[in-house]
Parts: sequence; C-alpha cells; structure tokens
Amino acid sequence: MRRLAATGVIAAALAVLWALGAGSQEEMKAVSSDPFPRPQRPPAVFAHDAHNEKAGIEACNECHHVYEGGRRLEDESSEDRRCADCHGLSDENGRPGLRKAFHRNCQGCHLERRRGPILCGECHRRR
Amino acid sequence: MNELYRLATGPLLWASFAVFVGGSLFRLLELFLLARRRERFLFTYLSLRYSLRSIGHWIVPFATVNWRRHPVLTIVTFAFHLSLLITPLFLLAHVVLWDEAWNVSWPALPDAWAIVLSLIVIAGCVFFFVRRRVTPEVAYVTSASDYVILGLTAAPFVTGVIAYYQWFDVRLFTLLHVVSGEALLVAVPFTRIRHMLFAPLTRAYMGSEFGAVRHARDW
Repeated sequence: MRRLAATGVIAAALAVLWALGAGSQEEMKAVSSDPFPRPQRPPAVFAHDAHNEKAGIEACNECHHVYEGGRRLEDESSEDRRCADCHGLSDENGRPGLRKAFHRNCQGCHLERRRGPILCGECHRRR
Repeated sequence: MNELYRLATGPLLWASFAVFVGGSLFRLLELFLLARRRERFLFTYLSLRYSLRSIGHWIVPFATVNWRRHPVLTIVTFAFHLSLLITPLFLLAHVVLWDEAWNVSWPALPDAWAIVLSLIVIAGCVFFFVRRRVTPEVAYVTSASDYVILGLTAAPFVTGVIAYYQWFDVRLFTLLHVVSGEALLVAVPFTRIRHMLFAPLTRAYMGSEFGAVRHARDW
C-alpha cells in the first residue's frame, strides 16, 4: 500500500514537472508552419538554444537578418519580427517567399558549413 | 553521408543528365542513319498527317482494336505510364528543388496524390513482371535486361515512398532515391526504355505506311 502511494506521489511529481516544463515553454522545438495555408510536410525540427550553442552562433542577426535594397545590413537585426512579416508566401522583387527563405537560411548555412541536416526528412521529421 | 549526397546531387547528377540527353540524341541519330541506309524509300511516303493520326489513336485508351482486346493491360499501362511521367515532374519536393536552384516554378501535386501515383507505378512494375513470366508470347521476347529495367523503374519510387514516410534511415533512403533516379535516366538510351524516344517514331513509320501506301488503318 505504501509502495503504491509512493509510486503515485512520484508519478504526480513527474507529471507536475512535465507540465511545468511544457507550460514554461521558452525553448523552441520546431519552426512554425502556421503561415502556410496547406503545409504538406511536418514542421522543421529546430531547438533554438541547443542549435545555436552547438553551431556557435552568438549574434542574433546571423539568422534574423535585415535586407535593404538587396543588401544585408550588418548592424541590423530582426528577431523582434516574424519571418512572415517580410517574407510573403511567394517570391517578390528578389525577396524569396517564406518557404524558400526558411530553406535558404537553414539548408544554405548547413551546405556552406558542410554541417547540419540538408535532406527533406532530416528536418521535416514525422516524429 | 553528406559528402556522398553532395556527390550524388552534384557531379553524378550532371553526368546522368549528360548521358541521358547525349545518349538519347545519339540513339535518334543512329536510327535516322539506319533508316536512310536500309529503308530510304520510307522518306518518299513519310507523312506528318498519317503519323499524327496513328499516334492520336494509340495514345488514347481503347481507341485501337489491340487496346480493346486487352482491357486489363490497357488500363494498367496507361495508369502506369501517366503516373510515371507525372509524379517526378509535379512532386512538390521536386518542384521546390527546381525553384530553389533555378528560380523556376510550376504547380505541384499534394503529397497524398503523389503517394497514390507512386504506388500505381510500383504496382505496374509488379504487373509487368508477372506478365513477362506467365504470358507465353511476352515471355518469348523477354531477356534479362527487361527484368532489370522493371527494377530500375520501380527503384526511385520505392525508395521515394520509403524516404517520404521516413521508414528506416531517411538519409540512406534519400540518397538511394537520388542515385536510383539517376540510374534510371542513364538507362534510357541503353535499354528498352528507349521506347520513350522511339514509340512516336514507330507509330509514324506504321501510320505512314498504312495510311499512304496500304490505305488502311493501323489501329
């Protein structure tokens, strides 16, 4: 009986911890596919903090870039905006559409550095 | 694995395109020279009108006596060939690759449709395999290469479906998908898959002779 109670307490504690962890979700786990009307693949896996630690990325604007007149502004950063605020669903005057922008930002860097996932199913994981 | 993928989508890809296009042009030239040497009279009655008339009948299911005589084969072969051509051209993942490499784009199929079409291709390969085994008149003209091309044709679709559902190792099967697609392209000029190039010419040959010489139908 005691054993059962103890098991119950531990399970409850774990559940609370899990709920807290899920509730205080600072950590990002995937790139949201919400802006897309009919996404065909699962959202791309992306653990923001773990990724940047592993990749040694310090500056926000390595990814959260700002372009003006086709040129990247070195001192500007755009982490206060959503990607979809600038990138529409399709290409516009040399500005890549959202899907292309995501792919270039992630895959482009991975190809350049020869590290990190580059195949469809490596990021758009079903589990 | 990434280096193998770079190789497969870089040099190997260009090599396979080059062999596919160059080999196909060579085969067509070879055929033309053969016809000029051995059947020069052909060019006296070769007719665009009768060629198109023949192609027009044979490209429509059940529009020829032979298609009507083999209804199951007709349904399977049309479903198979249409799926085989449509799927790689209009698969979303392929359209995305074209868009992101060359900024050219066209409408894509929903993935669910592409899966159904891929399964039709795979089922078609199984059908043709069994047909080659059990139909005497087909078995008689079958060589080892005909089984190989069925395998080569099915391979990009089988590996594509596996990679899509991410069964087993997704990186391995995506790589196999790329390489098997390249192998299929390379095989076109060197195997019976060249009927992809020759089929319209065969119909032009038959259609012109039946139309302009025999004044008969060839369908």
